[in-house]
Amino acid sequence: MAESSPRVLQKSGIFSSRVIEDIQTKAESGVYRIRGYGTLRERRWATFDDLTFLPCSLTRIPLEGYREKCETRTVLGTRFAEQPIELDIPIMITGMSWGALSYNAKVALAKGASEIGSSNTTGDGGMLAAERANSRTLVYEVLPSRYGIDVHHMRLSDGIELTIGQGAKPGTGGLLLDSKVSGEIARQRELPAGVDQRSPARHPDMLGPDDMIIKIEELREATDWRVPIFVKLGASRVYDDVKLAAKAGADVVVVDGMEGGTGASPAILQEHTGVPTLAAVCEARAALEDMGLYGEVQLIIAGGIRDGVDAAKAMALGADAIYIGTAALIALNCNRPLYVEDYHKLGTEPHFCHHCHTGRCPVGVTTQDPELMKRLPIDEGAERVTNLLRAMTLEIQMLARACGKSDVHHLEPEDMAALTPEASAICQVPLAGTRRVWGS
Amino acid sequence: MAELSCEGRTTRDINAEIRRLMAVGEAVTARSPGARHNLAVALLERGEVVFDGSVGYYCAGLMDGATVRVRGSAGWGLAESMLSGEVVVEGSAGNSAGAAIRGGTVVVLGDSGARTGVSMKAGVILVTGSCGYMSGFMGQGGKLIICGDAAEALGDSMYETVCFVGGKIADLGNDAVVVESTDEDKEFLDTTLSRYVPPSLRANLPDGGDFRKVVAGRKLWNFDKAEWRTWEEAL
Repeated sequence: MAESSPRVLQKSGIFSSRVIEDIQTKAESGVYRIRGYGTLRERRWATFDDLTFLPCSLTRIPLEGYREKCETRTVLGTRFAEQPIELDIPIMITGMSWGALSYNAKVALAKGASEIGSSNTTGDGGMLAAERANSRTLVYEVLPSRYGIDVHHMRLSDGIELTIGQGAKPGTGGLLLDSKVSGEIARQRELPAGVDQRSPARHPDMLGPDDMIIKIEELREATDWRVPIFVKLGASRVYDDVKLAAKAGADVVVVDGMEGGTGASPAILQEHTGVPTLAAVCEARAALEDMGLYGEVQLIIAGGIRDGVDAAKAMALGADAIYIGTAALIALNCNRPLYVEDYHKLGTEPHFCHHCHTGRCPVGVTTQDPELMKRLPIDEGAERVTNLLRAMTLEIQMLARACGKSDVHHLEPEDMAALTPEASAICQVPLAGTRRVWGS
Repeated sequence: MAELSCEGRTTRDINAEIRRLMAVGEAVTARSPGARHNLAVALLERGEVVFDGSVGYYCAGLMDGATVRVRGSAGWGLAESMLSGEVVVEGSAGNSAGAAIRGGTVVVLGDSGARTGVSMKAGVILVTGSCGYMSGFMGQGGKLIICGDAAEALGDSMYETVCFVGGKIADLGNDAVVVESTDEDKEFLDTTLSRYVPPSLRANLPDGGDFRKVVAGRKLWNFDKAEWRTWEEAL
């Protein structure tokens, strides 16, 4: 009798285990799925990893990597503001709300950023007094919800950020589920405690770019024309949006790519809306160049920036400064293998956790539970944030010196080659091994 | 009362002059405002300003404590994000009057546009005429009084704002419900109308007992539990 051949199992490439589980979950619940963190997709688009730096050899002269000065000072808001923001480094902390984050996390971010001469941003829900007290430079976000909006706080800030959208979910409002709408957060936002707070997608008193011209003037009037006005965009139609924001009078345009994080959002928005950060920075630069405003309107890029390498590449492509969010939270121990049993209670593991939406963050970063929050001592967290920002800055300087730059802001597209045709076409830099830009 | 002509001056200059006069205790009458935008923004002291004509967007926006009267009509975003104070418009107001206010009183002695009281968190908005669609949208607190008619989607997705309507309601928004008014409501309405509405106009308006009260049905405050279970288990 012939031996039976071994069975070969073949899984559907379309209906993978994850897709089957998703369909069956939705078939039971009848609703879409919500989670935090940002896109979980394995990369299927061009990213900063598809670029490589071209350090000096014979054609250019490098700077001594550990010795020669490489400037990192960053100035934002030189267009109209009487007091532009001056930072010691080009990496800033993006807006994340007290509510999405714990009190300890917010204060640790403020202290950590200040220690190294960087800035912090308020987020939805308004300004926390301790955040102001611990921030050398604080950007005050004006969001569609207007939770906690306070002109006095605005006037205490060093910059105003008019937020139109965010990269993780452009075109939609914020979300804060009931477990995080504690009594304290509810009072701050003037909401009933325990509601599932869904923020509006549009500003209550403006719609299009023409209104925004007037709104920006209002914010300048409210702050005596002193501080820079940022306009933050979730990356979608980046080229046109950046032009409209610049035309409306923004001092600084912030573009947040689709890899950006969130405390809670429908999962499909995180996975299937917006433009990747690499593409976004290229479109944003092109928009400003075509308006003759590149250099006059500063550009901040955000969305999935992991390290100094990503930051340096974004700067080489045109960013004046970089926002980090998720990376800063990871510095605060997000996804670190501590209190592992609490990851298990959430049905997850360290390095796999994206359960910010539950309010049960095992390491005290994205929670309002006082006991969980204690797991994040403010000073320890602040030190880790400072260290991350320092390390990232050193990485940017290292790459800049290798490319012969005495200022990190002198990095330019010519300092890089593309490793894929897509990156070459998007970034308009030659594909490595060729002398041409793909598609040109 | 100090007089200020807006003609030939920038908005920044006008606002600076208003603040300077208020700081020395002067009441201000600003002539020829010309429907200019962003007048009386961020007035942070007690004092009185009168605009002798119409104003544009965001008049009295981000204000805390002042009293502003407009002898004309106002554009969008009247008194937006006000913390405290009093704003009276003798004509009509554009869209989003009283948007996101956290206190104070906004009075429109005419009609008010769409989204009146959108995202209001506290305070009182009184419109003696009618309001446009989606008035009270996402209101978190405070009271919106509409003596005339309310257009479609009144009180959509509200938290704790209470709307009172003296005329017809074209259509209730998502989760908005009509409930019985209390004696305290009627007293509040009569007191507020008597305080802010001139007698000649008051005679044509409903009495406190004639208003219908609209609040959130609270069905949108939380997702249902099946959904919550999904989130908790989401991987």
